Amino acid sequence: MRLLLLSFVVLFVSCKKDEPLTPTLPTIPNQEEVITTLNYTLTAPNGDVVLFSFKDVDGDGGNAPVIVNGALDTNLTYSGKIELLNETVSPAEDITEEVKEEGDEHQIFYQFSNPDLGTTYTDADANGKPIGVSTQLITKGTSSSTLTITLRHTPDKNASDVVSGDISNAGGETDIEVTFAVDVK
Amino acid sequence: MLNSFFTLFIVFVFCAQSTAKKCNLNISGRLTDETTSEPIAYGNVFIKELKLGSVSDTAGNFKIQGVCPGNYHLVISHIGCETIEYFLNLRNDTVMVISLDHNHHHLHEVSITAKLKEGTVQESQSISKQDLEENGDKNLSAILEQISGVKTIKNGSGIAKPVVHGLYGNRLAIINNGVAQSGQQWGVDHSPEIDPMSANEITVIKGVGAIEYQGNSLGSVILVEPSTIEKEPHVHGSGNYFFESNGLGNGLHVELQQYKLNWDLGWKVAATVKKSGDNRSPNYYLKNTGGEEANVALQFDKLVGKRLILDVHFTSFNAALGVLRGGHVGNLTDLETAFNREEPFYTQKEFSYSIEAPRQKVNHHMATLHALYFIAPNQRFEFTYAAQLNQRKEFDVRRSGRSNIPALSLDQISNFIEMKYANDFGKGWELKTGLQVNYTNNENVPETNILPLIPNYVSIEYGVFGLIAKKWDKTTLELGARYDLETRNVAAISTSVPRNVVEFSEMYSNFSAMSGVKRQLTQNWKLLGNVGFANRNPEVNELYSNGLHQGISGIEEGEINLRPEQSLKGTLSLKGKVKNKLFFEALGYYQAIENYIFLNPSNEVRLTIRGAFPVFKYEQTNASIYGLDVSAIYQMTNHLVAKVQYSFIQGEDRSRRIPLIFMPANSLYGELTYDLKNVRFGKLENVELQVNNRYVFEQTHILAGQDFLPPPEAYNLLGAKVSAELQLGKFRLNFFVRAENILNTVYRDYLNRQRYFADDLGVNIIVGINAKF
Repeated sequence: MRLLLLSFVVLFVSCKKDEPLTPTLPTIPNQEEVITTLNYTLTAPNGDVVLFSFKDVDGDGGNAPVIVNGALDTNLTYSGKIELLNETVSPAEDITEEVKEEGDEHQIFYQFSNPDLGTTYTDADANGKPIGVSTQLITKGTSSSTLTITLRHTPDKNASDVVSGDISNAGGETDIEVTFAVDVK
Repeated sequence: MLNSFFTLFIVFVFCAQSTAKKCNLNISGRLTDETTSEPIAYGNVFIKELKLGSVSDTAGNFKIQGVCPGNYHLVISHIGCETIEYFLNLRNDTVMVISLDHNHHHLHEVSITAKLKEGTVQESQSISKQDLEENGDKNLSAILEQISGVKTIKNGSGIAKPVVHGLYGNRLAIINNGVAQSGQQWGVDHSPEIDPMSANEITVIKGVGAIEYQGNSLGSVILVEPSTIEKEPHVHGSGNYFFESNGLGNGLHVELQQYKLNWDLGWKVAATVKKSGDNRSPNYYLKNTGGEEANVALQFDKLVGKRLILDVHFTSFNAALGVLRGGHVGNLTDLETAFNREEPFYTQKEFSYSIEAPRQKVNHHMATLHALYFIAPNQRFEFTYAAQLNQRKEFDVRRSGRSNIPALSLDQISNFIEMKYANDFGKGWELKTGLQVNYTNNENVPETNILPLIPNYVSIEYGVFGLIAKKWDKTTLELGARYDLETRNVAAISTSVPRNVVEFSEMYSNFSAMSGVKRQLTQNWKLLGNVGFANRNPEVNELYSNGLHQGISGIEEGEINLRPEQSLKGTLSLKGKVKNKLFFEALGYYQAIENYIFLNPSNEVRLTIRGAFPVFKYEQTNASIYGLDVSAIYQMTNHLVAKVQYSFIQGEDRSRRIPLIFMPANSLYGELTYDLKNVRFGKLENVELQVNNRYVFEQTHILAGQDFLPPPEAYNLLGAKVSAELQLGKFRLNFFVRAENILNTVYRDYLNRQRYFADDLGVNIIVGINAKF
């Protein structure tokens, strides 16, 4: 019985030790890797700029993303530029640089629902294979269609047709997949 | 596989009159069956020091002649059994009657039945030390799969959790050396951090509620019992080595132990190292599926006076596990692309040992102090203190060298104190009661730069229980009840911007109860029936998780208002034997779970910059799970034994009238074992041959659209095993060659998450050697 009592004492003493009863407050992480914003700027030969933009500052949940679609003129050659931003930090971080630095591990794909539209790559990684930050787009006819822009991390650029922009054999993880409405007039 | 081992039940040593000090002493005796008292033929009795031995004749008699007085180690072995060692101080002619429990392996009863223990009236099955040694290449879950009604839920072959009667993770308690294993049990891809090689016996209680144990359980419990230190005054040890062809895995386990009789102190040290590389499915390598493990265990036993036994254990489990590279996907489009491929992405032609992201790094350290005090021969008091530190880091494929920064990093500290009191009042009455307190502090290590999946929390659980049993001539009745109180303080990060810390507090108060009866119907048949009511509190991931779960390509949303799950389960089992030739066991169960928590795919599809994702919400429903486990062993001839196991299980969502997802598929297992115990191949003894076959049915009890892909087809796996023993000087050697999936069958398993991406394992040949000295 004495032993029993002693153990009870041990039990309660142990519980009142220096163990905290409330959890450590979590550190709010500096989410330096997050991409919140994709801006796709198309510049016409005359200098006119059309902007497609997808912005989701609060991440996967919360508020819906803000999407800006654009209209293009027909029979023009646009030069395209991708800008990726992390706007959870201030000032916003330019992720495009990160993607370019690791160009051999990234590729951006452009898929139009209208087969008349298509982009060609105008940049290259260290191995001479495209990254897709800089592109060219030639418009034809008039149409209303969609454009899906996909950023793949660690794609297999050696798989068939991947360098010419065919995503189907690329593999890798999708870091970005956004779809815009594209009007060609 | 025969779950067989013999127990040295009683050793009577009769000392005959003798005066001689010359080398003319005899050790003789008889090996008998404990239940039937029939003699055991072809058993080996061997004196290690002298390399002298004898084989028992058909009457069970053995005799070793011309032995000098001295200290000897006798080795008693028999086909398919765990070898027994017995220390003998020989002074005179000695006659021994060694009684072996011959039925043990047929009925799988827990060996420690002398004292009241949960499981006396609940259905339980055990894996013996020998089985553990012959499966050293497998993890805990894979070893348990040989018990009917136990399955595994996996992410590749290296990461596996046991599933008992359809429940796993937070609904299944794993009790390691008397203490609930603490860690991130909620994750389907989080293996239990236990080295099965350091255990002596692993028991699965296919029960209705865990009254005696703290920790989450809605019925079943897995007990991992540490090895005991044999009362041997000399240093003894064992070594186990294996090689497996699939993954080119190697593993080594060594143990050393000694019992200092004059100090009443025993010590034991054990270590395990394992390394394997990419596994291979029949047609290709599974890139990045290797694993590494390094574990140590240290143990001391001390007898203080005549009434107090103290033991101290320290174990450290350390593993690095690769996850199939082609199974790491970014969004739903990637997942669909992966589904439609013959070979997963990133498949390489060459084998590799390297483990890259995605990977896991897990460390689990545990220290246990246990004191057992006999107040009187029939009364004992037990005290346990345990501290655990669990560290889990998971690495994803990330940009700019961040693959080496964990994407998830959690530390969990727990402290556990328990006091138990047991009394055998006599006249068949036994009582066991106890008090438990467990403190858990779970913390995200701020190194990930990613929003954490689960919040920080501190949880304190208080529990009190009582079990009472009454044994009559043919009937045993057991009643138990337990009360639990849990307080949990949570600190989470808000789900909306701007991010800030949000604190929550919860309190849960639960009452559980069980009752069971065991009835000896005839001499050969008995019936066990149990009913139990149990609870499980919602886990932090179910309450607070919010965000993208990459493994399943879905957004998971916790629900803060979840209530505890309540389970009512009943089991009924019948076991018996016919003419000592046919051993039969059948267990039926039905479990109703109210407020069953599950991830429900909602109709919502959420648009993110990574594409659109389905949203899964934690919701509650009323579920029921029922099934049947049947096993039979038939002694066909003196040398040929057949075994059959069948398990059937079905789960229903009663509220929504649809099947429950992720219930194991039904399976049928059969094996034929032929022993050559009467044939000698040189010095080889106990040669045994086995063929086995496992057929797993297709999971048809699921609706289209409940999962990303329909369940895989049924499959059939053929296996074989050869084992033999050899006495080589002071060493007792046991060899085995095991082959799995001999026909290199291409298959996928419903509960292996890797099935979305790749085929399961192809042929694997395992060669092992175990040595004892």
